[in-house]
Amino acid sequence: MLKRALAIISLLIIGYWLAQGLAGVPFGQDRMLVGQYYLDHVKEQTGAVNAVTAVVVNYRGFDTLGEVTVLFIASTGVGALLWRKKRERTAKTEGSIVLTTGTRLLAPFIMLFGAYIFIHGHLTPGGGFPGGATIATAFLLLYMAFTVYEIPHKAFEKVEGAVGMSYVLVGLIGLAIGGYFLFDWIWQTWGWGHNNIGRLFSGGFIPVIYTVIGIKVGTELSGIVDNMLKEEVRE
Amino acid sequence: MNGQYASLLIALPLISAFFVPLIKGFGKKAIKYYLVLITAIQTGIAGWVFSEVYSTGKPIIVIAGGWRPPVGINLYLGHFAALFVFIVALVSFFMAVFSVKAIDVEPIDKYAMLFLLLMLGATGMIATGDLFNLFVFMEITAISAYALTAYNKTGEAAEASLKYIVLGGIGSSFFLVGVALLYGSLGTLNLAHIAQLAGGVNATVAQVSLALIIFGLAVEAELFPLNAWAPDAYQAAPHPITAMFSAFVVKAGLYAMARILYVLSAASGWANIARLLVIMGTLTVIVGELSALRQRDVKRMIAYSSIAQVGLIAVALALGTADGVSAGVFHMVNHAIVKALLFLAVGYVGITLGGTAVENFEGLGKRMPLTAFSITVGAVAVMGIPLFNVFWSKMRIILAAMGAGYAWVVALVLAASVVEAVYYIRLIHTMWFTGEGEKLNENLVFGVIMLLLVVAIIVIGIYPEPLWDIVQKAGNDIVNVAGYIKNVPLMGVGA
Repeated sequence: MLKRALAIISLLIIGYWLAQGLAGVPFGQDRMLVGQYYLDHVKEQTGAVNAVTAVVVNYRGFDTLGEVTVLFIASTGVGALLWRKKRERTAKTEGSIVLTTGTRLLAPFIMLFGAYIFIHGHLTPGGGFPGGATIATAFLLLYMAFTVYEIPHKAFEKVEGAVGMSYVLVGLIGLAIGGYFLFDWIWQTWGWGHNNIGRLFSGGFIPVIYTVIGIKVGTELSGIVDNMLKEEVRE
Repeated sequence: MNGQYASLLIALPLISAFFVPLIKGFGKKAIKYYLVLITAIQTGIAGWVFSEVYSTGKPIIVIAGGWRPPVGINLYLGHFAALFVFIVALVSFFMAVFSVKAIDVEPIDKYAMLFLLLMLGATGMIATGDLFNLFVFMEITAISAYALTAYNKTGEAAEASLKYIVLGGIGSSFFLVGVALLYGSLGTLNLAHIAQLAGGVNATVAQVSLALIIFGLAVEAELFPLNAWAPDAYQAAPHPITAMFSAFVVKAGLYAMARILYVLSAASGWANIARLLVIMGTLTVIVGELSALRQRDVKRMIAYSSIAQVGLIAVALALGTADGVSAGVFHMVNHAIVKALLFLAVGYVGITLGGTAVENFEGLGKRMPLTAFSITVGAVAVMGIPLFNVFWSKMRIILAAMGAGYAWVVALVLAASVVEAVYYIRLIHTMWFTGEGEKLNENLVFGVIMLLLVVAIIVIGIYPEPLWDIVQKAGNDIVNVAGYIKNVPLMGVGA
């Protein structure tokens, strides 16, 4: 009781203190120093209609590379900690026929939609992370509906590594062509898609990178699900 | 050569970590030597950056994507970053060599990836010039550290890692809230741009956000109320990883703290935060040293000692004077050398004799003379005996603290140093004057690495001047905010 009261009191103090800080932030006023620049220049400089993805992949692509790495570490870490010589799925109850049939029908559509999200990252809301998560959902559904289903790990692991490398490689090509790491060489050097803004074949290297991220996130999250669903079996 | 190629410091560990799954099939040995090779190349690149920065006297600014800051993200490889990126790479290389023998737990491919990414995270934290990018690299460092802490898969390791995850998670959320507040009031994330605008920021906002950011970083930097995870994690983690934690992961957190602190030095209410940090640092020294005194496990004892040294560095960095920061950086370099040596030697004893309990160290002087000698040199150096490197840096810190008017801090830190001498001398006594034993064969490669580090300790101890010149430049890089702003090619958005 005393513990709880003390916790509540200290939380209130921290909350008041944070509110004091927030009160000093001028919300609703024009504070868009860098933000205004992005809005003004996004189309001509990156070819993307979706300003968020342009910022995330192009202007501040370095952060996204970092976030992809964070996810990679998460999946590697889960893999390392749950590693056992022999692990299998030990699920017992098969899903009902409605569930399994529904899954059969639904899974391809979910994957298609996931691919749609990441391919159209520069045009519509979304991008690589939501697209990849959607694809992983399809695999999760397969895992839940079928007791025997397993992703092909060997292939998934290799794909995961290969697409991660290709993200860095796209960046390194930028270094070689444009002189800067993660330089958008497709848009700025080749000028590819300049008269196409707002359509599928535009946006410089944003769709390329988002495809890479989509595949990477999809395989990684599926890998995490796979790792967590399996249990050690004794021989 | 074009300075933009310094971005390879980030790109190389990343691409090689992603490459590991593709060579998984070639077996354990191949992956371990691959790790050694990559860290060696990284050391080469870092060495090139170091010589470039120190010979021209100008920082290398890597502009990611070709967008000039503050629109894009830049890396700022100034005197400090160049020095520490080199240390990070070098220590990683030594520890990769050590891993060949020390790591036998499966899955080795995952270990290699996490190892490379830990190095990448620390490099990025030190090199970045952008506040949010700093957060991303901090997460990379922290999450690979969580996974590596639990890597041995014992109950102890899992518990240590869980503590670390919970504390680290809370810390990063605080950091993120602080960044959001700062962005909300300034509208920019670039550190140089923030420094430019810092004078005009609302006093409450500046204090709250700075306190939140410092609080978040204090988890990584192991400052007093937030370092409960550290001794457990140091003890439970694989031996090479412990050395990396102590030698550079904690330094990256400290540096980030100092950088943000000085970037906002124009904001009002700044002195309060700096004083808070001095108090936290002093408490860290005292608590660390007193806890080390009672330990029965040598690795844990050195872990507490490492925490205490970190507190000393934090005090020096928060003094607010150029002398203090240079002294702090000096101690960071010395501490990295000494603790890399100590954890390497203790870890080597751990894998040879099966454990790092004090009993295993009885008669070590007869059984493994070279290792025992290295531990002795390391221990004597940490205590701050003249003619060893740490003496000079501790001396400088104490002088700087006196200069800044913190006499009570000096008194407390000196008292804690006496405690430090007690437990290190006890360890030396255990190694050389108790127990019996046959001589064991010592590994030649580790012997060479340990001797190299021993030589570094003694050479710096006898000729501190060249290194002092280097760290003065590095310290100046942090304190001289006007110079920092001038060096970053801001494009003047909304100015």
